[in-house]
Amino acid sequence: MPRLNSSHDLAALREALTAARAPNRVCVTLCSGTGCLAYKSHDVFAAFQQEVAARGLDHDVELRRTGCYGFCERGPVMVVLPRGICYLGATAADVSEIVEETLVKGKVVERLTYEDPDTHERIAAFDEIPFYKYQMRLLLKANAQVDPTRIDDYIAIGGYAALAKALTGMTPEQVLDEVTRADLRGRGGGGFATGRKWATTRDAPGEPKYVVVNADEGDPGAYMDRSLLEGNPHSVLEGLILGAYAIGAREGYVYVRQEYPLAVENVGRAIEAASDYGLLGENILGSGFDFTVHVRRGAGAFVSGESSALMASIEGRVGEPHPKYIHTSVQGLWGKPTCLNNVETWANVPHIVRRGADWYAGIGTQRSKGTKIFSLVGKVNNTGLVEVPMGLSLRRIVYDIGGGVPGGKKLKAVQTGGPSGGVIPEELLDLPVDFDKLSEAGSMMGSGGLIVMDEDTCMVDTARYYVDFLAHESCGKCVPCREGLRQMLKILDRITGGEGREGDVELLEELSEFMRVASLCALGKTAPNPVLSTIRHFRDEYDAHIRERRCPAGVCKELIAYTIDPDVCIGCGTCAKNCPADAIAPTADEKGSPYAIDQGRCVKCGNCLTVCPPKVRAVAKRPVIDVLENA
Amino acid sequence: MYIDEFAVAAGGGAQVADADVLVIDDEQFMCEGCRQTLEAEGFRATVAPNGQRGLEIVQRVRPKVVLVDLKMPGMTGMDVIAKISEIDPSIVSIVITGYGSVASAVDTMKLGASDFLTKPFEPDRLVESVRRGVKISETRRAAAPAPAVAPTPEAEPEAPDQPAVLLDGLETLGQYYALGLNRSDFLAELRRLESEAKYHAETLGQIKAKERRVLDLVRDLRRVDEVIARHDYHKDALLQILLDVQEELNWLPRHALRWIARRLNVPLARIYTIAHFYEALSLEPRGRHVVEVCLGTACHVRGAPELLRRVSGVLGIQAGQTDPQQFFTLRTVHCMGCCALAPAMKVDGQYFSNPSVKQLQAMADAYRPEREPACQG
Repeated sequence: MPRLNSSHDLAALREALTAARAPNRVCVTLCSGTGCLAYKSHDVFAAFQQEVAARGLDHDVELRRTGCYGFCERGPVMVVLPRGICYLGATAADVSEIVEETLVKGKVVERLTYEDPDTHERIAAFDEIPFYKYQMRLLLKANAQVDPTRIDDYIAIGGYAALAKALTGMTPEQVLDEVTRADLRGRGGGGFATGRKWATTRDAPGEPKYVVVNADEGDPGAYMDRSLLEGNPHSVLEGLILGAYAIGAREGYVYVRQEYPLAVENVGRAIEAASDYGLLGENILGSGFDFTVHVRRGAGAFVSGESSALMASIEGRVGEPHPKYIHTSVQGLWGKPTCLNNVETWANVPHIVRRGADWYAGIGTQRSKGTKIFSLVGKVNNTGLVEVPMGLSLRRIVYDIGGGVPGGKKLKAVQTGGPSGGVIPEELLDLPVDFDKLSEAGSMMGSGGLIVMDEDTCMVDTARYYVDFLAHESCGKCVPCREGLRQMLKILDRITGGEGREGDVELLEELSEFMRVASLCALGKTAPNPVLSTIRHFRDEYDAHIRERRCPAGVCKELIAYTIDPDVCIGCGTCAKNCPADAIAPTADEKGSPYAIDQGRCVKCGNCLTVCPPKVRAVAKRPVIDVLENA
Repeated sequence: MYIDEFAVAAGGGAQVADADVLVIDDEQFMCEGCRQTLEAEGFRATVAPNGQRGLEIVQRVRPKVVLVDLKMPGMTGMDVIAKISEIDPSIVSIVITGYGSVASAVDTMKLGASDFLTKPFEPDRLVESVRRGVKISETRRAAAPAPAVAPTPEAEPEAPDQPAVLLDGLETLGQYYALGLNRSDFLAELRRLESEAKYHAETLGQIKAKERRVLDLVRDLRRVDEVIARHDYHKDALLQILLDVQEELNWLPRHALRWIARRLNVPLARIYTIAHFYEALSLEPRGRHVVEVCLGTACHVRGAPELLRRVSGVLGIQAGQTDPQQFFTLRTVHCMGCCALAPAMKVDGQYFSNPSVKQLQAMADAYRPEREPACQG
């Protein structure tokens, strides 16, 4: 690999790479993100290699394993270029047909294309699929174009051009100014102005300075950082180098969760490749600027995503937060000024530098610029990663892109911001999504998890879920967070267990206030959000649990009971066979006599309801209070 | 230089011609020490600095007992012993070995050595061993003066732990008997040899088990050392080292942590604090396969608790536990970042989306080794 000694070398390399690629050559791109790998995308790729070689098409067809396409629900995602025909969920067995029909004859294999769930219309063109059509894929677009293990792919599509531009034609101040004017805000959750953060570190006394990528993506239900690092690690690296240049750092760290092994691997490989080209290391592109990057893995502690905790973890210590009388931007890693930004924030930087702050500031809303990647998950038809301009309404994200709620169920709420965020009820679905609007609604942007909940989701149980999660993840260093969460969990357990008392909701609110004010770090300060926002928007559900001992969604086990209607039951015994607790028995000895559930032994797993033949439907889930009254 | 002098001294000894004991060892002190001890007891002893010299002397002199060091430059003790029994099966070989190579000593006994001495040894032990050897050799020569006597080496290859002492002893006894020894002497000798053999067998077994444990430990620590070296002995990389060590050993055993503490010069308590804090680090042995069920929000609303219940039912263990056979460890994770597969689970890095009980059963059977013994050791 030749070392690139100037921006001319880089430009020459890019030209050579583009020239080597015939623009009209057929290229089959296949997603190899974690989601698609689980759908055996490796096998499909191997089958393609075999088939293409067997037919002697090696020279006419390029096969490329790319980063995450985002439409993980329907993996593996395959796009045949240059026509952009998209096949979803193909298996190795479909490969020879695809080669024969599409690659040789140029026809579309209809049955593998996207089918609209309502109209059953088939859509073959990648960018016509509603999931992609309404997105604005600024960062994710490249994921689908490059093989994350090959730096040349990234360079061919214009990668590292922003770096070359900055190093040859811009001073660090100009780079910083560009980011400040673009009004980029941190994508990790808080939405702090990135330019201001950089300036703080830049102006802080002390050398050396550090830059850090926060890829400790702990928010349950969010995986955009994983996708970016796995699918296009060079874009994050390029942003990091630009940041280092602007701030004056010579050393950087990428802190990745060890739960993301592929991300760790791909980032490591990207660093090696960039170093070989001289895009990292000493005298980058002949500019005299030196910068090196190291990878550090996290070890499964949610709280370690907090800035001071993350830095402690990089230093090889226990990843607990520390009081930040002085911010980590000023005194961070080893007491030196350290700039920490989220993966997505860094990935935005090359776009801003390359295309200018004015262009960037033209996207989004007044106070939130650019795009945001959301992981649209939960009870939604098209699960996956979506990137939209700031300000798009939740309704459009969930319905236009996400295809609505499966099974014709009613949408109840959307949860954003992970355990630090809150729920947004159906009434507020037209809310434009940006940092400030979400905060006003009692939630927050967070890292971008967008969890859709339907009528079968209990809001009290959801609050309990988050509090349970946080009680588990709290480091226990400060009392308000540790004890506050425990007490909250106790109260919520009581309510979901049917033992709720009058005044419990007020007690929760009081505890929340106390935690919000007194906790040491953001984990504790924002921990009450899921509780407060569910109380705010779904107070009736709390009251139903406490006063009527009913769970309207039928989720809280202590409040529901399964019963068999003796008039409907045909006595087939399927439910009894599937009961793990032996709680179901026939009411009489004769054949065909109806079965009944012994409520004392029932563990409420719901197996009987699932297995009862659809034509019979004798099993019902009912509030336990009604069952007891009738008994 | 000393080797040359030594060679001259050893080769040119006047008493070589009629020696009945030969000591072959590359360490001069050892040779001289043995020779003096044996001569003080009335044996005629001579020495050789290496295998070749030793064999020349054996050819020429035919001593009754040869003491051979296992580890020597050039010809090894093994080869020497094999050669000696070819030259004259009536010669009794005794192995001298350093600590820690007991296993190879046992191998040499299979090749025909009668006994072994572990360095350092007491003079009494040497004399006793040589005396017995001389006796055996004399009996052999008396019973079968022709060199075509059936050789002893390949008796009982299946029982490596059974010391050759017993076999040699029995054969010797048979020869005594043939010579018309009286019956009570014979029985007394038999009992003595029997108990000696038993003692040897037991000790050997214990030593071997201990050796295995020590070897395992050493192997573990070597791997830990490699990891530490990869991280340039940086204290700051402690967490990364722990993660890598766990990848190597599958968990963090105490001896590994102590070793890391020593190598990096950090207090053991600090290492334990870190190991306790991070979820991903395990201070207990984990099963061969780690099963992780995701409890992220997306998975939660799509039925992760049910999935966990199913998995736990199929594997027969609760979250956080390892089954007694150490096949599976069940863990829960807060979001694995594959929300599209919700509810998702992972086995050894492979992802699965909402498997049914039947699928889980099939997976568990596939991962479980077929005819593995239920419990080891």
